[in-house]
Amino acid sequence: MALTDSLDELITSGAITPQLAMKVLQQFDKSLADTMVKQVKTKTTLKGHLHTYRLCDDVWTFIVKNPSFKMESNEMVNAPRIKIIACKNGDAIEAGKK
Amino acid sequence: MSNKIVPGIYRAVIDEVIGAIRPEFEEYGVSEDVLAELQAKWESKVIASHVAEFEPPQPPPAAPPPAPHAPPLHQSYPPHPMMMQHPHYANPYAALATVAPPPPAANTGAPGQPAVKAEPVDSRYMLGNHYTLPPLPGPNVAAARAPALPPHPGGQTGVISFAKPTQTQQPSSALTRPAYAPPPALQQPQQTQRIPQVDGPSESSDEEDSPSPPASSFAPRTMHPSLPQPVAAAPRPKSPVDSEAINSDLDDSDTENEEEADEGGVGESDIVFCTYDKVARVKNKWKCVLKDGMIHVNGKDYLFAKCNGEFECHPQSSVPLHD
Repeated sequence: MALTDSLDELITSGAITPQLAMKVLQQFDKSLADTMVKQVKTKTTLKGHLHTYRLCDDVWTFIVKNPSFKMESNEMVNAPRIKIIACKNGDAIEAGKK
Repeated sequence: MSNKIVPGIYRAVIDEVIGAIRPEFEEYGVSEDVLAELQAKWESKVIASHVAEFEPPQPPPAAPPPAPHAPPLHQSYPPHPMMMQHPHYANPYAALATVAPPPPAANTGAPGQPAVKAEPVDSRYMLGNHYTLPPLPGPNVAAARAPALPPHPGGQTGVISFAKPTQTQQPSSALTRPAYAPPPALQQPQQTQRIPQVDGPSESSDEEDSPSPPASSFAPRTMHPSLPQPVAAAPRPKSPVDSEAINSDLDDSDTENEEEADEGGVGESDIVFCTYDKVARVKNKWKCVLKDGMIHVNGKDYLFAKCNGEFECHPQSSVPLHD
């Protein structure tokens, strides 16, 4: 994504070390999770046709055909296919949430 | 609706990451300018991705939602300082200005992308110079590796410093060889050198020239990243073909092929990352409660705190006929 590309560029340019980049990514994961938990309150429903499912290492992967998301604002979003990657809801996230 | 909140959230994340990582940068002895550069790069990439309307809510005058082409992106830089720490963005260049001529060009408003890209290259180039000075008398290994090296002169990290010694060493060896008759002991090392030299002289002669005309002559940054990357980049276009060729006999079952195709196609672009609270199935009805996720669909990002998913699944669904 945008961050990793930027980090790549900086690593390539010698401005930062890969180790530092990893720290940044770790921080990003943490910050993203925190921020989402704190600031995002919206609810969404999703319906669709389940094409593929798998559970591996506590990570669910679904491939849903013709998903339709119904946002809180009654906004509908459709797509031909979507992949859902869901990690187990970790304690840390859960703790922050409740 | 959940798309509207995306910019604010992303900003918050960026700010938090940058803020939280600052001590790490200090610990690693990396200057604040680099951190600012990272932030600037990151933000501009996020904005350029158009995942959401990045009209900053706080300062309305600033940053009109960037149009899909580059120049607006560039124009949006000036407004940014008002809301973010973008002033820093200028700092790296200011620092560079002491050494490198290009920064003024950037300030004069050269077309956005090239200007932005050229400068960092310059900085690397200089960095590379510093690094490479010590290894000049480098070992033959470097020369032996020469053929594998991309001819890009962009001096960068230590990796590229391999390239530098090579360049300098090759000409020197080329010059010295005729000068003295090589004792038999030396012949072996020389033969190892000789191979690279077939390619080398042209390469090195190019690069001998290139140091003086710096960034402008460089390919776009992506063309000359650190050494491993070009190597990785080269096979990339082929890799799908290769991997298919290799795998087809062994482990590609029919269904797997389909799935690969499915996932590799549209599925890659539309994706949801989230956590799950529970996933339950009754017969072919699946219900799952997803939490704290981001949906990337149709080029837009959406965030949700909770998402109830209901899917039905037919066992035959993997057969394309049922699509």
